[in-house]
Amino acid sequence: MPLIFRLASAIGSPVRLGGITPDRLRDMSLVEIARLEVLQGNVSVALGDLFRVSGDGADGRLTFEGDLAGVHEIGRGMTGGEIVVRGSAGRHVGGGMTGGAIHIHGDAGDWLGCEMKGGLIHVRGSAGDHTGAAYAGSRRGMTEGTILIEGSVGSHLGASMRRGLVAVGGDCRDVAGLEMIAGSILVFGACGRAPGAGMRRGTIGVFGMSPVPLLPTFRAAGRFRPLFLRLIRRDLERLGFPPRDELSGEELVLYHGDLVGLGKGEVWCREDGGTP
Amino acid sequence: MSSDFIKILGGTVHDPANGIDGEVRDLWLAGGKVVAAPTDPSVQAVRVIDARGLVVMPGGVDMHCHIVGSKVNTARIMCPERSREAAPVARTATTRSGTMGSVPSSFATGYRYAGLGYTTAFDAAIAPLAARHAHLELADTPCVDRGFYTLVGNNHYVMRSIQKGEPEKLKSFIAWLLGAAGAYATKLVNPGGVELWKQGRDGNARDLDTTVDGFGVTPGQIIGSVARAVDELRLPHPVHVHCNNLGLPGNWTTTLETMKRLDGHRGHLTHIQFHSYAGGDGDEDTFGSKVAPLAEYVNAHPNLTVDVGQVVFGRTMSMTADGPVGHYLSRLQGSKWYSSDIEQEAGCGIVPIEYKNTSAVHAWQWAIGLEWYLMVDDPWRVTMSTDHPNGGSFLAYPQIIRLLMDRTFRQNVFQALPAPVREKSALKDLDREYTLNEIAIITRAGPARMLGLKDKGHLGVGADADITIYAPASDAETMFQMPRHVIKAGRLLVEDGEIREPLMGKTLHVAPDYDREVEADIQAWFEDSYSIRWRNYPVDLKAQTEAEVVA
Repeated sequence: MPLIFRLASAIGSPVRLGGITPDRLRDMSLVEIARLEVLQGNVSVALGDLFRVSGDGADGRLTFEGDLAGVHEIGRGMTGGEIVVRGSAGRHVGGGMTGGAIHIHGDAGDWLGCEMKGGLIHVRGSAGDHTGAAYAGSRRGMTEGTILIEGSVGSHLGASMRRGLVAVGGDCRDVAGLEMIAGSILVFGACGRAPGAGMRRGTIGVFGMSPVPLLPTFRAAGRFRPLFLRLIRRDLERLGFPPRDELSGEELVLYHGDLVGLGKGEVWCREDGGTP
Repeated sequence: MSSDFIKILGGTVHDPANGIDGEVRDLWLAGGKVVAAPTDPSVQAVRVIDARGLVVMPGGVDMHCHIVGSKVNTARIMCPERSREAAPVARTATTRSGTMGSVPSSFATGYRYAGLGYTTAFDAAIAPLAARHAHLELADTPCVDRGFYTLVGNNHYVMRSIQKGEPEKLKSFIAWLLGAAGAYATKLVNPGGVELWKQGRDGNARDLDTTVDGFGVTPGQIIGSVARAVDELRLPHPVHVHCNNLGLPGNWTTTLETMKRLDGHRGHLTHIQFHSYAGGDGDEDTFGSKVAPLAEYVNAHPNLTVDVGQVVFGRTMSMTADGPVGHYLSRLQGSKWYSSDIEQEAGCGIVPIEYKNTSAVHAWQWAIGLEWYLMVDDPWRVTMSTDHPNGGSFLAYPQIIRLLMDRTFRQNVFQALPAPVREKSALKDLDREYTLNEIAIITRAGPARMLGLKDKGHLGVGADADITIYAPASDAETMFQMPRHVIKAGRLLVEDGEIREPLMGKTLHVAPDYDREVEADIQAWFEDSYSIRWRNYPVDLKAQTEAEVVA
């Protein structure tokens, strides 16, 4: 049985839950947990004043219930275990996490999985801007792990990411994979302007539109039937992502870029005409 | 008045400026000053601080750091990840919150200086155009008396008056500029070289006889002329020189030549560690130390003083008015880079850097800094600095004190350095250890004297009641890390590491007199060149902060 946090009532000021992670709560009693202090706005409040806490966290599972769109930093820095959110979550979910899994049965805000170093985040709804990206000033975004979003995401998806996989069932907005260093981003809907702008290495697949609005600094490299996408499809299905026929081995067009950067990145599109 | 007396009872006093080396005695304070013990035995102190068994020194004086102004703020904006990754400074009932990292926020900077027992700090490089900003930020830097030096080494008017052979005009201009900016002293940064850098890609002054295009003057002429003008103006602090060719292999000859070009005038050579390198033929193996000949020259020439600019291993931020150095470092480190051109006045370069003890060059820099402390015979002539944050944070001062006082500790760190440094650095044979009194000289008495601050750096009658009380500990780093009490202007600032009363200090500046007739000439040049109006240029200090004219 998981440890259950039910939002007691609608919250006013935003709440930051950084540090409330499964590994930390595992050996605590309900009373101790209810006394833990978190920030709401600029004041410290007891967790028990915000949530009704029940269940048992001994098996490393936490469940949050209610409208948590104003509750930020869920699972930030977690190292293992599992967090399930039944509803929407706020910003910075899973930021810097190194392991474990976060399942959100709703939407997530901006900065989802920023600078994550391992583990899995699976969002059944949509997510905001800067998913899997780097925080301001950092050299690297996510460096390992998997982010699955069944809906759509905002801009700066996977900006400066170094390794790992992001799959988006719907659309994404501008500059997906901005200055990415390596890693993989698959978008099954349409994308906004300039995917892969400044990318050094890494792989971006855009399957839901044609032509893809690439920058002129991408160069067509030919048509292929990439086998690795079938391997990724198998992984995605194993993780519970809805099956995608786009990854079944059909012929795709490959573009190389961004030539203003290192130029070793690749963008896969369904049809010719990638460059504007 | 009697009700105002504070007595510091029975401390072991180190007041080298007054020849007191570890004597147990009482100190009486009143009205923010050190006063003579009351002759009337019935007079009681309102507060007695029991310092028996503790070490009493004047408050620390940091004569060269970078804590305010546009460069510092640009560095903060450029590297938010550094502030984010460091533990934040929490708000308390008496103090504000802040951030740390390589460049702490303004209030945190003041609190941390106070926490180390420092009560005075000078920012070493403010362009006159940035003076207003710097003063506003100094007014938000609590706990320390403060001020800044203003940049003149690449100023167009300075170079023009030297070119025309008008030393009187130069003198008046410098006096006017110091007053307009509310500055404490003059600063030369890569004189002439920054102007050349601003004129074109890879431009710089290679030596002191390079001609600055458009002005027909050389770095050597700028150094000599400004040093002379500063002496003739009788400014409290001599010209503060950041030599040409900072950080470059083989730059020691430039540094030696700079000392000579001062031509007997007073001069303070800053972060001298960065200017004492052998090598230069492209072979990294030839990189090394030339402290010995430079220190020998300093020892023999009483017109010269230095501060070290010690490198501390770890991540930090390079921020300098030496634009070409910023470019050089950014190419070396492959990191972020900021460069700016400050009109008729100066340049600026900012680069995040990391000093690693596995790098032979960085290890050399570390060793060269310590060689300077240990090879200058007279501690009154060398001052502790890390050129915060360029060589490292001021928070490393306790560690540097331990390196100087404890040769076993020093050798342990030294033995972990790369082989070339271990084998060749003079540090392996230097077994000098600093005494507590010598530490008191290089951290407070010496810099106060170099700055011409008559009321600071000592505990004689009439001195500012800026006092730090340390508890002796098994090692010097622990002792200097957390003073027991810090008193500022006669009030208890810090007790056991916690800020009791975060009082604001005052801004120290000069306002030298000058020939008013030159103003018309300056104004004509100014109106013709600057992006702002003449009347908006001078800073009205009284409107901004509590200020005091020194000398």
